Amino acid sequence: MIPSTETIAALVKIGLLVGGLMTAAAYLVLVERWIAAWVQDRKGPNRVGIPLTKIRLFGLGQPLADGLKIILKEDFTPSHVDRVLYNAAPLVILATSLAIFAAIPFGSVLPPLGIDGLPDPVPFLVAPGLSVGILWVFALSSIAVYGVLLGGWASNNKYGFLGGLRSSAQLVAYEIPLGLGLLGVVLASGSLELDVVMTRQADSGIWYAFAQPLGFLVFLIAAFAEAARLPFDLPEAEQELVGGYHTEYSGIKLLLFLVAEFLHMVTAAFLIVILFLGGWHLWGVTGSGDDIGWGMALIRFGVFSAKILAVILFFMLVRWSWPRFRFDQLMSLAWKVMLPLGLANLVIVAIVEEFRPQMVASLGATTAGWLAVLLPWGVFLVGWITAGILTPSGTDNRPIRPSLLTEDSVFAAEHVLLGNNGEHFREGGSPDEPTASGSRGSDA
Amino acid sequence: MTLPAPFPGDLLAALGLTAAQPGILMAVAVVTAAASLWLLLPKGLESRLARPVGLALGVVALAGFALAGRRLGSMGEEAVFALVALVAVGSAAATIVTRSPVYAAIWFAMALAGVSGVLLMLGAQFLGVATIIVYAGAILVMFLFVLMLAQPAGLASYDSVSSEPMLSAIAGAVLVGLLTISIGRLSATEAGVEADAEAVAEMAAEADDATVAPIPAEDPLFEDHVARLGGELFGRHLVAVEAAGVLLFVALVGAIAVVTRGEAAALAEGRPTR
Repeated sequence: MIPSTETIAALVKIGLLVGGLMTAAAYLVLVERWIAAWVQDRKGPNRVGIPLTKIRLFGLGQPLADGLKIILKEDFTPSHVDRVLYNAAPLVILATSLAIFAAIPFGSVLPPLGIDGLPDPVPFLVAPGLSVGILWVFALSSIAVYGVLLGGWASNNKYGFLGGLRSSAQLVAYEIPLGLGLLGVVLASGSLELDVVMTRQADSGIWYAFAQPLGFLVFLIAAFAEAARLPFDLPEAEQELVGGYHTEYSGIKLLLFLVAEFLHMVTAAFLIVILFLGGWHLWGVTGSGDDIGWGMALIRFGVFSAKILAVILFFMLVRWSWPRFRFDQLMSLAWKVMLPLGLANLVIVAIVEEFRPQMVASLGATTAGWLAVLLPWGVFLVGWITAGILTPSGTDNRPIRPSLLTEDSVFAAEHVLLGNNGEHFREGGSPDEPTASGSRGSDA
Repeated sequence: MTLPAPFPGDLLAALGLTAAQPGILMAVAVVTAAASLWLLLPKGLESRLARPVGLALGVVALAGFALAGRRLGSMGEEAVFALVALVAVGSAAATIVTRSPVYAAIWFAMALAGVSGVLLMLGAQFLGVATIIVYAGAILVMFLFVLMLAQPAGLASYDSVSSEPMLSAIAGAVLVGLLTISIGRLSATEAGVEADAEAVAEMAAEADDATVAPIPAEDPLFEDHVARLGGELFGRHLVAVEAAGVLLFVALVGAIAVVTRGEAAALAEGRPTR
């Protein structure tokens, strides 16, 4: 049985993609360590070069050494785990994070190769027939939650379990702003195919980041949370939370989890570039349309890769620039800030898209085009300022269960803390609503 | 790569059955499936033989369904369909057979993945992906949350034992058999059912359209079926969609109301809140 040309082409693309992604993940870890070193003003990994020689090559051998080390580590399985799910969890999360790339284009198109059975021009996409690419990405990233949840549960360890619940709650919560940010783009482009979204941006020359600033911001932040990158990387919090869902994992299984998390970041970078930053398009360089030669195909691939790399570098810089959110802060950001902002973006995009023909008819194409860009920017500014005013800049660090204490014990505690100054607290208000001056330590 | 697929007639003849007998084959498969399910369902006290015998019967039943069913186009398609169908049916059986609720939820997720694979094969891409997003990605995760939080230690006997194994096995198997027949896996001549000839012919024609042919790229269904589905939902069925939306919203408000009322009552009685 001879497989058809299309099957072979798909297999070649899958091979390229999986191999390329795994290698890229390994080297991006090295890049991340370099950036960490640069931010912290130290040298970073710069010694490992070609084995058995003294050639250093700027530390380019480091990923190989790291990989070898972690693979050769003992693959220890604690005795108290649920073995089946413990072993399945890292596979689930890695498999889904690789399968996502079936629907993600990694360039524009290749010029016709002249091979029978291949479409002309050849798209940079494993599954070009999938007309619901965006939903596919969304579905598989929602499956990734299983890896997290099962990893935590199967560990049979309270810290691991709590970490699993925490991370999966985070993933589920941030899927909503992620989807709202995405919906704006889907509305504007009228397609669920990622390559069509790129083509639309190339044709109009207006990247959706400029047309929908609020959607871009919401999507960006939600993508950070979905990839569990630094302001949202609670699973990495060994000191404060005894780690996350992979606390009980070691060796190659831990590696699978970490690679999967890294691939989530790469996926997020791809999505940000494709949906909001124009994909392979750059004004005056790449042009638009599918009728291209080899030179243009290479240029587009280069532009696309450069953008992806830039977004990934941004992810890494953020990692070394911000402190971590606390879990309740993270949740209230998702539900109280991101969700309303995402809805506001969706509404304004829907209005603009609905009335665009009327606007063009009555105002002319140029004015209507400007209005279609300026209206979302107005909503962006208003939303941003409103969110800034309505959400407190500081956070409430009072104990979460004041009413567990009796009033007397609260009084005693205040008395000890504040000296005789605690007197007004008894008259001031209930323990549930301490007055500003009565809250713990605020005026001590 | 279209190889001449073996026709059911040849296979059945090889088995010594005449062309009029797939109906009987189907009936046998249904009975075997029911017996297998009954043996496999957790009943509290079973012999050591129940599980292997049940599994063997299950394999026989699946083979029976496969033989009585209609062949698809090419070998590759057959293989992919067999794989996703096996995943769907096997996981669905495992869902009700397993004793641990968490495992049951996981098997259910696997069954959904299989169903989604079948839908993708049929060209219903939106349904396939939506199945995963809605069921596996949202509802089941909530299930898992509750199951994992509610049962930290051990299982209650009423949770791990099936209450009506006999009835549920029979009902399930009969339902599967009836659906298989009515959807038209048996063609008009082989069905052996005394049905209105016209209706059967129509049914077979429908089955031809929907299931047999791999959907080519030029097919209008394939072209922009998501847009058409959306137009249909928000055009003809607008009221139903809005009603469903209102229903969900009311449920949400109700849930919040229940929680806050509980909290208010706790406050009034001086119990700890939150």
